[in-house]
Amino acid sequence: MKALRLSAIALLAVAAAGALFSLGARAQTPTENMIVMGIDGLDYTLVREMIDAGRLPNLARMEREGQFGPLETAATPQSPVAWSNFITGLDSGGHGIFDFLHRDLTSGLPFGFPYQATALNEPPGPEFKMAGYVFPLWGGDPKLGRHGTAFWQHLADAGIPATVVRMPANYPPVGAGERELSGMGTPDLRGSPGESFFFSTDRRQFMKTDVSGGFIYPADVIDGKFEGTIIGLDDNPLTEAENDAISTDFVVYVDPDEDVAKFEVGTQQFVMQAGEWSDWKTLDFEMLPYLASMTGAVRFFLKSVRPEFEVYVTPIQVDPMAPALPIAEPAEFALELAEVTGRFYTQEMPEDTHAINNGVLDLAEFLEQTRIAREETVAQFRYLRDTFEGGFLFSYFGSGDQTSHVMWGVTRDTGHPQYDPALHDQYRELIPNIYEEFDALIGETLDTIDDNTTLVVMSDHGFASWRRSFNLNTWLVENGYMTLQRQTSLPVKEFFNGVDWRRTRAYSIGISALYLNLRGREPSGQVAPGDRMALLEQIERDLLATIDPVTGEPAVTKIYIRERDFHDRGNLEIGPDIIVGFANGTRGSGNNALGGIAEEVITDNTEEWSGDHIMDHRTVPGVLFASRPLQREATSLQNLAAALLAEFGIDDFPDGTTPITVINPE
Amino acid sequence: MSLLNSVLGGVFDILLLPFRSLPPMIGLVVISALCSVGMLLGYKATSNQPAIEAVKRKIAAGLFEIRLYNDDIVAILKAQGAILRDNLRYLGLNMVPMVFMMVPFVLVIAQLQFHYGYEGLEANEPVLLQVTLQEGASSDVSLELPDGVRLDAPAVRMAALPGTAWRLVPESSGSYELGIIVGSERLTKTLVVDDTVTRRSPFRLAPSFLNQLLYPAEPPLPADSAAVEIALHYPDRELSVLGFGQHWLVWFFLLTIVLAFAMKGWFGVTI
Repeated sequence: MKALRLSAIALLAVAAAGALFSLGARAQTPTENMIVMGIDGLDYTLVREMIDAGRLPNLARMEREGQFGPLETAATPQSPVAWSNFITGLDSGGHGIFDFLHRDLTSGLPFGFPYQATALNEPPGPEFKMAGYVFPLWGGDPKLGRHGTAFWQHLADAGIPATVVRMPANYPPVGAGERELSGMGTPDLRGSPGESFFFSTDRRQFMKTDVSGGFIYPADVIDGKFEGTIIGLDDNPLTEAENDAISTDFVVYVDPDEDVAKFEVGTQQFVMQAGEWSDWKTLDFEMLPYLASMTGAVRFFLKSVRPEFEVYVTPIQVDPMAPALPIAEPAEFALELAEVTGRFYTQEMPEDTHAINNGVLDLAEFLEQTRIAREETVAQFRYLRDTFEGGFLFSYFGSGDQTSHVMWGVTRDTGHPQYDPALHDQYRELIPNIYEEFDALIGETLDTIDDNTTLVVMSDHGFASWRRSFNLNTWLVENGYMTLQRQTSLPVKEFFNGVDWRRTRAYSIGISALYLNLRGREPSGQVAPGDRMALLEQIERDLLATIDPVTGEPAVTKIYIRERDFHDRGNLEIGPDIIVGFANGTRGSGNNALGGIAEEVITDNTEEWSGDHIMDHRTVPGVLFASRPLQREATSLQNLAAALLAEFGIDDFPDGTTPITVINPE
Repeated sequence: MSLLNSVLGGVFDILLLPFRSLPPMIGLVVISALCSVGMLLGYKATSNQPAIEAVKRKIAAGLFEIRLYNDDIVAILKAQGAILRDNLRYLGLNMVPMVFMMVPFVLVIAQLQFHYGYEGLEANEPVLLQVTLQEGASSDVSLELPDGVRLDAPAVRMAALPGTAWRLVPESSGSYELGIIVGSERLTKTLVVDDTVTRRSPFRLAPSFLNQLLYPAEPPLPADSAAVEIALHYPDRELSVLGFGQHWLVWFFLLTIVLAFAMKGWFGVTI
């Protein structure tokens, strides 16, 4: 009897302990620490398929133990816009980023001059001139084009240390976190998004005329010696002379028989075989003799020694060990990363897709370059993760996005105009393998973190095959919204050459942005402000009714009119009047971005860029994983930061549910 | 000169041996202290101490005069003139010991440069070896590599220099002797793969007084050699104190001067 009583007590004790345990599991303790891995372009559908196929065991574990779901991206789903939604909890009307490119109407051009939306420059201040040199006293510094408060400012206000690495649309870094490294939006040392240098003895290379995002120069190898020049700036800002380029020279000695060469770059000397990439080499650009210089860093790629001698040089990176531009906050953070993991790509998107478009790098060479860039970011992440002492850590990974841009259509879409069965066979596992690499890194991280740390994995958008190119300007011409001068013949390469602005009501700059030629706003404005909304709705109807003659399907499935479809305010005026949501598989054509007008509205996409996401945002969602369920629901990029902050007990961050007004500091 | 270099090289190797595995700054502080003592003794022996004391007293008197007659512009200007004159005399009195000390200091700095001026190579870290030849010399150059060092890429024969370059990879730590065959001539070059404070020689050069003075870490090339230079590219080193990195020479001068001033009283030296 006594034994029976003891057994009953023991049973009750076990039951009570079980009940307590299950209660404890439901009443989750607040997060003390959080690591967020922001993986650009991680596609919901492909992730779902791969999890179901058992190929992403660590993400599957996160789904099982925490949460997984699609994450609504931004309208328009371009990375700077999408990440700005995440950073600020606002939409474009609040943070003021609508596209990679905006237009500057103060330029005097009828359409405004295009500029990079996220990074601006302060106007230059007073200068002191002496002996042909110019000494700026202040001004001219880079300035962040994004408005709104970064979510990690709220963490800092709550005393939570935040490290934010390579966050897009954060150049120069806002400095709200304990440590920040800038990401997408960071220029190369020349101030561009990234311009490479290519030296070749092959006439077919250096006679090319349609080169963008880099320079191709003829190379002369005389007596086994080649002398090259890398131009740091086209115009030295410290001299009065115009077009006074600052440059640095390098020398290559080529072996007469073997495919090998010796490079001399400043005091750095190294031997390379054909097909090899160098490590980072520094370049000094003297701006003022003995007094002012700036340092950049490049990697050399000896593409070929014979029959043609060809050397590729990456865009000039800001040297993280001596940064000439504000890439980190504090500046020593870049130095710390470089000392621990080596110099690294600092430009916004290091994967040189221009080089592959220009025929400078072939596919295998491009993929090797993306691998190098990916390994750098992974090494930095591992260092920061392994030294993480609590608080908040965000790290961005971009190479999956850039690889997907080049490879998605040609390896995953048998209906893509450039689908090549041989290429498909060779590379069909490339993108899934990159997903598996990320999964392994996530697994490592899950094994590293303690019970008080939440791991979040998210992406800004998904991916789709880009089969068809839609030129909005051509569409405007064909539908009577834009008129060409009588002598103008198509195609127009760029900058609306030959457009009759007195008879033009709308124009397009960027990938999917459409502006009215509005009186009182545009220099040659024709549309009366009172007619604006009616015209926008008419364009909307016409665009939504546009059928792709090849597919027989609508080419446009969503239109965003800024006042109607953006909720936040304060910077709405920066944006286009209409953003076009192309049907899945269709994207705005590349030459439309700078005011080009093609012969046909919709054509097959023949660019070396077969995947994209700048389409109807509903068709390209990103992903959200968390290692334990988030207490507040996160369904979109815009309300994700609010959900992450809620994990730390911070509840006052915008999440898109109420209209927010942001005062433009300008 | 070769004999002097080999004696000095041996002395410094022995002197720095206890500090070989310690952080470089420790040995540099000790060497700087020894140099300070040597400088003080040399200065005392070669300078006119009574004259230096007298001119310093005059300078002090001039400064005192300026303070005392600060409302008399003529007196101040006269005192400033006297101070300037005495300063020039002070500099003149220092010229003699400077000249005497310059020679040993150049020799010491040349020796220390090869211990502190270059980073140690790590195993599996590629390094460039280059032989530069006399104009018109045979380009028939080959390598004899010891075990533990491998050739990582084919040789680059550079007709325009002329010369040949190789990318070598040492597979483990140690001191190696590389053999370079130029025609019928066999030359050698040291390769040190080690992160300790030890002698590293980036160059072997043609024999000349200046080359031997400035590059004493290895014997010069034979006078009739077809090679004019053998270079092995060790990376330059910076010594860091509290995160502030500088060339070792900056720290050496700073330490030597500070320590000499700190110790001058013990040695009864007026500087």
